Amino acid sequence: MADFKKVEPDLSFIRGVMDSGGETVNRCYQCATCSVVCPLSNPDRPFPRKEMLWAQWGLASKVSGDVDVWLCHQCGDCTAYCPRGARPGDVLAGIRNNAIKYYASPKGLADIMSRPTGVVAIIIFFILVVLGEIFLLGHPFIPKGEVDYEKVLTVLPIDAVFMPLAIFVVIVALKGVFEFWHDISAGAKLPQSYTGTYPRPKLGDLICDYGWKSIIEILKHDRFKKCGQTAERAKGHLWLLWSFIILFFVTNYVFIGADIFGMHVPLSMFHPVKILANIGAVMLIAGVLMVKAMRDQKTKEGVLSSATPDWILIYLILAVGVTGLGAEILRLLNIAVIAYPVYYLHLGCVAALFLAVPYTKFGHLVYRTTAYIFQRWSDEIRAGRNGFAKKMTLDH
Amino acid sequence: MSNSILVIGGGFSGLTAACEAAEMGYDVYIVEKQSFLGGRVTQLNKYFPKLCPPTCGLEINFKRVKTNPRINFYTFADVKSITGGPGDFNVEIQINPKYTTPQCTNCKPGEEAATQEVPNEFNFGLNTRKPIYMPHPMAFPAQCVLDASVIGTEEAAKIKAAMPPGHVDLNQKPETINLNVGAIIVATGWQPYDATKIDNLGFGKYENIITNMMLERMASPSGPTGGKIVRPSDKEEPKTVGFVQCAGSRDENHLPYCSYICCMATLKHALYLREQSPDIEIYIFYIDIRSPGRKYENFYAKVKADPKVHFIKGKVAEVGENPDTKAIKLIAEDTIGGGKIEQEVDLAVLATGMQPHGATEPIPGIEYDENGFVKPKEGIIPCGCAKRPIDVVSSAQSATAAALKAIQTVVRRAG
Repeated sequence: MADFKKVEPDLSFIRGVMDSGGETVNRCYQCATCSVVCPLSNPDRPFPRKEMLWAQWGLASKVSGDVDVWLCHQCGDCTAYCPRGARPGDVLAGIRNNAIKYYASPKGLADIMSRPTGVVAIIIFFILVVLGEIFLLGHPFIPKGEVDYEKVLTVLPIDAVFMPLAIFVVIVALKGVFEFWHDISAGAKLPQSYTGTYPRPKLGDLICDYGWKSIIEILKHDRFKKCGQTAERAKGHLWLLWSFIILFFVTNYVFIGADIFGMHVPLSMFHPVKILANIGAVMLIAGVLMVKAMRDQKTKEGVLSSATPDWILIYLILAVGVTGLGAEILRLLNIAVIAYPVYYLHLGCVAALFLAVPYTKFGHLVYRTTAYIFQRWSDEIRAGRNGFAKKMTLDH
Repeated sequence: MSNSILVIGGGFSGLTAACEAAEMGYDVYIVEKQSFLGGRVTQLNKYFPKLCPPTCGLEINFKRVKTNPRINFYTFADVKSITGGPGDFNVEIQINPKYTTPQCTNCKPGEEAATQEVPNEFNFGLNTRKPIYMPHPMAFPAQCVLDASVIGTEEAAKIKAAMPPGHVDLNQKPETINLNVGAIIVATGWQPYDATKIDNLGFGKYENIITNMMLERMASPSGPTGGKIVRPSDKEEPKTVGFVQCAGSRDENHLPYCSYICCMATLKHALYLREQSPDIEIYIFYIDIRSPGRKYENFYAKVKADPKVHFIKGKVAEVGENPDTKAIKLIAEDTIGGGKIEQEVDLAVLATGMQPHGATEPIPGIEYDENGFVKPKEGIIPCGCAKRPIDVVSSAQSATAAALKAIQTVVRRAG
């Protein structure tokens, strides 16, 4: 019994997984049907059978060091074929929601963002911040005359809120990603150096090779489309992804244009960037509605279930889209009394969506991308390419 | 009021229950759906773990039936309705025509005259038979049957002409009888689960995937291959065989319960194959090997010690076929060694489980649970695999217990 190892279950971790979508985890009896029917599982380290066991036993550190959790797209093939109704696809979604909380800091914000009431509170908080700014600037909340949002807030005071928020979000997300990368390096049992450090990819390779290839794969949704039971879900998600890319671009165009070059906003409806922005907004709403419809349908078919974190993200994105487009339409219709409140609501929702990146399911944007990149790189390391294994032999 | 007992099903459980009750001095009726007694056991080659043929046990029961005047049996008969209550059941029974007379014990001339071939259900379609047939060589009562489907056709006339006069009677009609009994023992047994329903295991899609009961028929000297276990595609002895345990059992999408016998059956089949081809390699894919009790555990240990039998802990969830060799690829995760395994085998055997007949052909007047097992109530006593999935020895024990329960019912009601 030299290899005796005591299992110390982390009960709060099991509870957490069960509360965020994985309530069926304890029904698993380890037949491994899931690992075989999964269209995304890899032959050397199949999932999700091992993750089911770790989650049952409360082995939080095993799960947090497991990159495979993030290679799952909740296709539901495993759930459809599971002989015990253990719903591995939903359990992995629960594990991911939990992992995002685990890597988020401060934890209190993640707790707030994990509840619908908390998200509403965050939205109200940012609305109050914006209203406070308007009050301090001495502007009326609903000015007379033609609707023009510049009358209440120019680009600068908006940036005064959103720039620090964006920087905060990026810092929290990066901190999470670095910790995540360290944990998955340990979990993947990569060859360690004499000093115990894990190999790291060169920044150039990371961006130009692994990162670039992973991003192309994500932009095309190649893996998501491999799903058996729920491949149709990829379509709405792809629309959503592209709408975010478009809106990211137009937001930055306006940010740089208006803040640095003093460009006049709002842009004319016929300005190419404005047209693009409107296309993005429509795609966002259409995409999120498709995602919601497919989720509802697949829930009815029983291959997928949705937990609070799923609905929080869907409704938050929907709220951003509807209030954004609403504010624009109401401005054009010149209905001041509704237009301004909708605009304030939109700003509150956008701020909450920013904050959602490191604290809610929206975090899959960073963690899944990181996991894709890590998988590409670690596969190379294992295969002895990338010069690392060669270097190791030389050291010996 | 009646002191007699009805046994529905003339398989091993039903025969045992009937003999036990009759030998206690009660009148017993057996109603059997098939044209012969003995049920599922007649299809078996050998019992586990002793590896003796089932015929000896059956012969003893047949002798008890033949020599006991208290036992009446109806074969080729269906229970149509059950009314009344404990002590006083009225049962309507339909006896279906065999279109032959009891002296028709040899249908060779009829078989030679017949032109049609139909799949032989006794051998799970591994071979064909003629429309007139003896279900199997050990059939008791030994009476041939002429398929109802050919009645009124030229084929039937041809067969009748070829058979000795008085052996074939094309004018037989279904007959209905009513029995008044005090208690009913339900011993309606099981059928192999329909493997085509397990869509990821390729049965019916790939030729060289068979079920455990099909292998059992092939292993039988009176079976379709004369006792040789072969690949259906080329009739060659396989060099590698893979067993897929829990094919449909312990699965909420199919049979949610453990079928109890499949692990032992597979271990037994491994021994059949090792005896047939000493160089064979056998791969058993399992979730857990369930070999309850000392004797079964020893049997498992014996097979496990065999270096040619490989046990892989992981359920097969995907299969494929090599189109050139017709070999089967079994895909599973080895949950101990880690990693996905793709094992190519000449022949794959699905260890399909037991489904009670109540799941597909419920008898009116009997209550079943959601899986088709009989719910016991006063006067209606299930035994054998109608009650739960069990092996033959436990079936016999449950049948004896059921006989006692039935006797208690009639005694209490009479008193």
